[in-house]
Amino acid sequence: MELYEYSAHELSEMLKAKKCSSEELTKSVLDRAKATDDKVGAYLTICEDKALEKARAVDEKRKSEDLHPLAGIPIGIKDNISTKGILTTCASKMLYNYVPPFDAFVMNKVNAADMVITGKLNMDEFAMGSSTENSHFKKTHNPHNLDCVPGGSSGGSAAAVAAGSAVISLGSDTGGSIRMPASYCGVVGLKPTYGAVSRYGLVAFASSLDQIGPFGRNVTDTAMLFGTICGHDNMDATSADREYPDFSSLLNADVKGLKIGIPAEYFGEGVDNSVKEAVMNAVKELEKNGAEIVNISLPSTKYALNAYYIISSAEASSNLARFDGVKYGYRAENYTDLIDMYEKTRSEGFGDEVKRRIMLGTFVLSSGFFDAYYKKAKLVALDIIKEFNAAFEKCDVIATPATPGTAFRLGENIGDPTKMYAADICTVTVNIAGLPAISVPCGMLNNMPVGLQFIGKKFSEQTLLNSAYAVEKLFGEAKPANV
Amino acid sequence: MSIDVQHLAKLARLRIEDDQLAKFEKDMESIVAMVEQLPDVSGDASGLDPEHPMKLRADVESTVKMQRSELLANAPKMQAGCVVVPKTVE
Repeated sequence: MELYEYSAHELSEMLKAKKCSSEELTKSVLDRAKATDDKVGAYLTICEDKALEKARAVDEKRKSEDLHPLAGIPIGIKDNISTKGILTTCASKMLYNYVPPFDAFVMNKVNAADMVITGKLNMDEFAMGSSTENSHFKKTHNPHNLDCVPGGSSGGSAAAVAAGSAVISLGSDTGGSIRMPASYCGVVGLKPTYGAVSRYGLVAFASSLDQIGPFGRNVTDTAMLFGTICGHDNMDATSADREYPDFSSLLNADVKGLKIGIPAEYFGEGVDNSVKEAVMNAVKELEKNGAEIVNISLPSTKYALNAYYIISSAEASSNLARFDGVKYGYRAENYTDLIDMYEKTRSEGFGDEVKRRIMLGTFVLSSGFFDAYYKKAKLVALDIIKEFNAAFEKCDVIATPATPGTAFRLGENIGDPTKMYAADICTVTVNIAGLPAISVPCGMLNNMPVGLQFIGKKFSEQTLLNSAYAVEKLFGEAKPANV
Repeated sequence: MSIDVQHLAKLARLRIEDDQLAKFEKDMESIVAMVEQLPDVSGDASGLDPEHPMKLRADVESTVKMQRSELLANAPKMQAGCVVVPKTVE
């Protein structure tokens, strides 16, 4: 067995017991990236020299110090998370040459824990998309079937972990961008409670919905990484000030008495029957182990996708106004005056999907349309929150499919934006309500992974991780896919 | 609903070339047709979360320090320690 095939929690023990060095491990993971990435395309930047240098430094430090459990473990980072001295492009021509002069809050945590950064991972441009096909630079392929998409927008983060070219990774989730690729690639992805992880240094898409979260090939790794990156940060006004437990050491697969809510709305039209069956089979196994199934209703779900695209695009149109070719990133070559420079820079620097979202956001906020679109969408959001609150009076977690189908083929949805948007149907409500949710593999359909999503109350990540851990006990941990 | 893409583009400081206009119009019309399906709801949408209030930072001097050269290193055009843009006053 090669070192890249082990999980983070196994490697943590092996490094501690000096059964391998971080340098050997990092080499193994980088070799795996070299061997697979021309097919998978998970990476935009590979930091080979820096990674090996860091690994050697961690090995040296370990001789005299007790280190963080994730010290020396190779991690890949989504390319919208600011990394000091390392390109951070958001997979956009607009930021093709941008090197941040500062680290995101989560990168400070990653560095303080002495993790080894393997590189920056591909994504949909500015995190807008559900397939990673909107990257300006390259397409990412699903390691389980290279003809299929890895999901998006954190497609590179999920594909790298699934292929073994990273042990763990960080992504971001605005409407499902962690859970959906985790589901498509057969790995675990956690979208934390809004406010649990600081957004400082995450290039903003929709600030009221964005949240950074971890990927791993199993629940324990995911819990370890989440426990490392959560916590209060003065630099993010929406950061929650609270204490967090040591999630990974508290993992417990006992579901006796756990009340699992099943919302009819997530098992209806638009979701493949085979996916519904796979998810319900897993839930029924949990019932045999002592969990209780409770039927619940979340009727506003049918408006969630529409509300999501209105709210997120409105915020995006404002957030992306900063990209004007003045202080950083791309600037058009020829222009006559300042306005001409702005317009040419933005037209040449942004891809079509980003332009559509900016224009949708501009439309729903424009005079005469604000009440009919933006205000209504915010009221629908309140209904969604109230319905979740009522549901959690009756159950501890809610189980749903993470995606309406398994991974679709590259190019399949690219001509029709609304068809692509529909892939987010199972995930957007969670961001609207600020809740935590996790996607965990629950079997395969036609050799492609299916993800089960657990949604929880705010700050109930331990319950979600435990529920996912129980599912993992049934279906086993993911191993790097054959690429 | 027909969408005036050129007007939206102008508000958003974008430029849509003539050969792309028909495609953007079609896309924007189908997206708006999708998202406008919302229920008749009314009320106050200020969406507060009383159980999890935000903690405002104290009004103290920031300790974040960065070098001017570091911050300017990403500027597309620079001269004498300043970012250069086209002339804005006559």
